[in-house]
Amino acid sequence: MNSDLHNEFAVRVRGLRRTYGTGASAFEAVRGVDLDVPVGSITALLGTNGAGKTSTLEIIEGLAEPSAGSVEVLGRNPVTDRAAVRRRTGVLLQRSGFSGDLTVRETLKLWGGTLSAPRPVEEMIDLLDLRGRADTRVLSLSGGETRRVDLACTLMGGPELVVLDEPTTGLDPESRREVWALISGLREAGATVLVTTHYLDEAETLADRLEIMHAGQIVRSGTPTQIAAGHPSTISFSRLEQLPEGISGVTHRREEYGRTILQTQDLQTSLAHLLAWAGGNGVRLDSLDARSPSLESVFLAIADGRDPISPESSETELLEGSLR
Amino acid sequence: MSTATMERFSVSRTLHLARWNTVLLVRNRLALSYALVFPLVPLPMLLLGDRGSSTLGISAIGGVLLLAGLFPVFYNVLSQFVSRRDELVLKRMRTGETKDGELLAGIALPGILCALLTCAVAVPIAIAGGQMVPVNILLFALGAVLATVMFAAFAYWTAAWTRSAEAAQLTSLPVIVLASVGPFVGGLPALSENVREAISLTPGAAMTELVRVGWFGFDGFEATTSTLSFAETWGLAGQPLLVMLVWTVIALDLARRSMRWEPRA
Repeated sequence: MNSDLHNEFAVRVRGLRRTYGTGASAFEAVRGVDLDVPVGSITALLGTNGAGKTSTLEIIEGLAEPSAGSVEVLGRNPVTDRAAVRRRTGVLLQRSGFSGDLTVRETLKLWGGTLSAPRPVEEMIDLLDLRGRADTRVLSLSGGETRRVDLACTLMGGPELVVLDEPTTGLDPESRREVWALISGLREAGATVLVTTHYLDEAETLADRLEIMHAGQIVRSGTPTQIAAGHPSTISFSRLEQLPEGISGVTHRREEYGRTILQTQDLQTSLAHLLAWAGGNGVRLDSLDARSPSLESVFLAIADGRDPISPESSETELLEGSLR
Repeated sequence: MSTATMERFSVSRTLHLARWNTVLLVRNRLALSYALVFPLVPLPMLLLGDRGSSTLGISAIGGVLLLAGLFPVFYNVLSQFVSRRDELVLKRMRTGETKDGELLAGIALPGILCALLTCAVAVPIAIAGGQMVPVNILLFALGAVLATVMFAAFAYWTAAWTRSAEAAQLTSLPVIVLASVGPFVGGLPALSENVREAISLTPGAAMTELVRVGWFGFDGFEATTSTLSFAETWGLAGQPLLVMLVWTVIALDLARRSMRWEPRA
């Protein structure tokens, strides 16, 4: 195989398919996924529940074999080269799995003892802010604390590639921020991160690349800016009955939950026009909100099947062509 | 092409896992008392009849061996494996460097240790209770080791089609019946030759035969006096040892084909 590619991508997936069951009850959860995770990047895999994210990750983690297609992790096959791959990867599953009767410290000692080159238990306890709970049995931990123990295990072997399935689900906002700081820190230290999350704001802020999955396929790839490009900006305010005709740039208007929502291709011009009209007419725009196209709006459009830029359109091809 | 795939089973990692599984077993008082106390239950039988009766001795010592296989090993390993699977502990472990064989052996070892411990304790107790000193203690030890490995294999095979730790109370029955038929029925005098032949191929019958030959030096199922020398016991132990070995291989093969590492969706 080409060694340059191995240096460039920590994960390479081609034509990946995964089918559950056989015969009439068979269900294809992953339907031809191509995915490249550049070395040193944070790549976020996004999608609604059931989009096939976890099914894809399990194959990359070497826990399941694909029905079709190929997977390379750090240049190797995660199933047949299991031992070599596992030494260099850290995995966080969607649901944590620990024996409740062991304390946090014992759990980390147990895990550390299975690794070739574990970082010290006490260092991990401090890194994940578990000092106050070190002698508590896992059974008595909160969901967020258990997740931090799990992350400590994931990072304990000093992995080059970290695969995280919803690392922040169930964490309070402060812990979420800490976990993301930790993940950014991994990138600073040269590691590669592949992560799924339901928090689009996190993905947008922290990920270098986004891969949006829908119905078993990746339907959009790129940087957050590239993905949002071409989508309309929105202006919203408390519902007004009377609005000027033809605000420049506005393409769509709707009323929702007592608010008026305008979509525009040119946020600055539309907003200037609207504000000038309001100022001139003594109209107050309560709870005024103006925002550039967000990942959330793109994501919701894809999830609802009203994706304004279909993958077949030339614009997307150009976008993807420049990335792949 | 990769040397990594050739990497061998790590004994130190297995012992590390076994150590923590022992900690967990000790913290589960109910499971621990099942594992340590149950196998010794047949020994008080020795005080019931004529002191030194070999019939009683075979039942009691064979009973210890059978229960040591069934409780600390078979039932314990089955329920540990199934509950760890339900708790997603096994799935979590399999994302790390631990190999499947190390994970399986690490779960079985504490139970095997308990079983061997109770078998060892049974030897002086039985002798103190009036039983003869074993003709071939090595054969008894070998039988105990092979029995524990065989029952661990049965546990993994049963785990493959056991949905939950509660369900294990039911799914453990086939193996318990298979193992018990020999000791309970095999000694009956009214059995036809064919039936006796068939029963002698069950795991429990092989274990009883090993006790008759190895400990008591009995030659054949009708024997009531010790006639075999130390050297002669080896020859007659061949068939029961082979029977246990074959069951172990069958159970491991069935387990490997149907093994599941995470709960059914």
